Amino acid sequence: MIDPYYLQQLAIGLSLGMTYALMAIGFTLIFGVLNVVNFAHGEVYTLGAFAGLVLISATAPPIFAVIFIALAIGAMAGFSLERIAFKPFRRFTDEASLKSRAMRESTLLSSLAVSIVVREALEIVFGSQMRSVPFEYLINTPVRIGPVILVTGDFIIFGVAAAMLIGLQYLLTRTRIGLSIRAVSNNPLGAKYVGIDTDRTIIMTFVVGSMMGAAAGILTGLYYGAIFPAMGFVPGIKAFVAMVMGGLSSIPGAVICALILGISESMATTFVSSGWSDMVAYGFLILTLIFFPNGLFGARRERV
Amino acid sequence: MTHLLDIRNVSRRFGGVLAVNDVTGHVDEGELVGLIGPNGAGKTTLFNLISGFTPLSSGSVSFDGRTISGLKTNQVARLGISRTFQNLRVFPNMSVFDNVSVGAVGALPQGALGALFGSLAGGGARSAEISRRTWEALEAVGLTHVAGELAANLPYGQRKYLEIARALAMQPRFLILDEPAAGLNDTETRALADFIKRLHGTGLTIMLVEHDMTLVMSICQRILVLASGRKIADGPPDAIRRDQAVLEAYLGVDA
Repeated sequence: MIDPYYLQQLAIGLSLGMTYALMAIGFTLIFGVLNVVNFAHGEVYTLGAFAGLVLISATAPPIFAVIFIALAIGAMAGFSLERIAFKPFRRFTDEASLKSRAMRESTLLSSLAVSIVVREALEIVFGSQMRSVPFEYLINTPVRIGPVILVTGDFIIFGVAAAMLIGLQYLLTRTRIGLSIRAVSNNPLGAKYVGIDTDRTIIMTFVVGSMMGAAAGILTGLYYGAIFPAMGFVPGIKAFVAMVMGGLSSIPGAVICALILGISESMATTFVSSGWSDMVAYGFLILTLIFFPNGLFGARRERV
Repeated sequence: MTHLLDIRNVSRRFGGVLAVNDVTGHVDEGELVGLIGPNGAGKTTLFNLISGFTPLSSGSVSFDGRTISGLKTNQVARLGISRTFQNLRVFPNMSVFDNVSVGAVGALPQGALGALFGSLAGGGARSAEISRRTWEALEAVGLTHVAGELAANLPYGQRKYLEIARALAMQPRFLILDEPAAGLNDTETRALADFIKRLHGTGLTIMLVEHDMTLVMSICQRILVLASGRKIADGPPDAIRRDQAVLEAYLGVDA
């Protein structure tokens, strides 16, 4: 019989991992198509959370309205982000430029710049302190299952992550925009020549990925009850680690690695102080890069 | 009579190099035209100018009476000009069927959001249309038996036909084949020649860019010859074979 303590830690780790996974899905989607890292994904997450919070403070909306506004802000953020930080660097459309290091590094820096500007702007408007979510919107009503205590948020986050994964698989394999997204991710030039509007496809990828990021932000905000301008930073790093571990462009791989990260972090707090638990994620990253340079799920898997 | 494709005084300058220099030519509906020339003659650049991938420095290109210079590549493609590539650009991590579907999807009008998120699998006239076009194109190139296979797993020769199928799924009015025989052995090249003739027999207008002279001479009705960015000859295969300028361009001035 396993000690209930470990079961409890496992449950906590799973929910932690789920919040990373929510974020990693959008992150990996964008990487898979453009082959560039979007460092502003964490801020999209924060924006989603703040959008929900502002709505909650202004009126007393039903919960689905909160989610809806977060999704809408996420879509807008994704669109603007692509126009501001990525599009200007796609002036040259030939293959050599699209795959060049200059393209990757410049968008890496431009997205980082956007992320800093957005974070600072949020601090000016809202202050850097944590803002607490009104009690009635929290999703942390305890639910007891045998020896383990979970909260409603665990189930909600699990449900949302599963729905996102399934929805995304449907989108990618069964819809026209999904087919275009995969085509552009496989060979942008080939896609162009068969009539696919690559620009529009890339925008749609950012919109979809950012909506997922924003949803992750508001859900995590309601789950922990705290929303603050820097909240996207740590999950952003964890999502990045999960993406790299999962093989860079495998969404299911990133999700599994996000769960592994969450569980190992919560288990680690048993043995070391919680301040050191982040070490686990970075330790995993280093080990993965040394022993599985293609990621745990990187080999011969469909990108995106 | 207006030509299907009309190229007028087209030039393209890259820095100090005139890659395409004042080329004028045309392709009529239903023709099978060859485009040949030594390496660096400007064949690919001319292609890129037609397809809107490279902007023109001067001149104009019109397709079916409509000026297409200035349009984007995907817009040109949707007007009915479709192409294959010398170094293949199939989508390696997608199934053969999905590869070809992209062609069918790309050619359909893309208006409302409904069209974007329209389902491929479900009912609806559009999705039935996509799957019908995909199967037709696969059948035309004889790849129906590998429809579920990942494109990356196909042998090189089949990947070529896959690219042609993807182009055909767009139901183009004008198909440009860029060195389709490159890397094929004699038997495969002969099969390819028969295939191109069959395609042409269905009424499709085709432009064939090729290094393999025997192939071009044996199936094309008319041949355009480029050298150093200029058009140096334009005529039926027999005339091209005897043309002094062509011989010089291929064999050197002293030939």
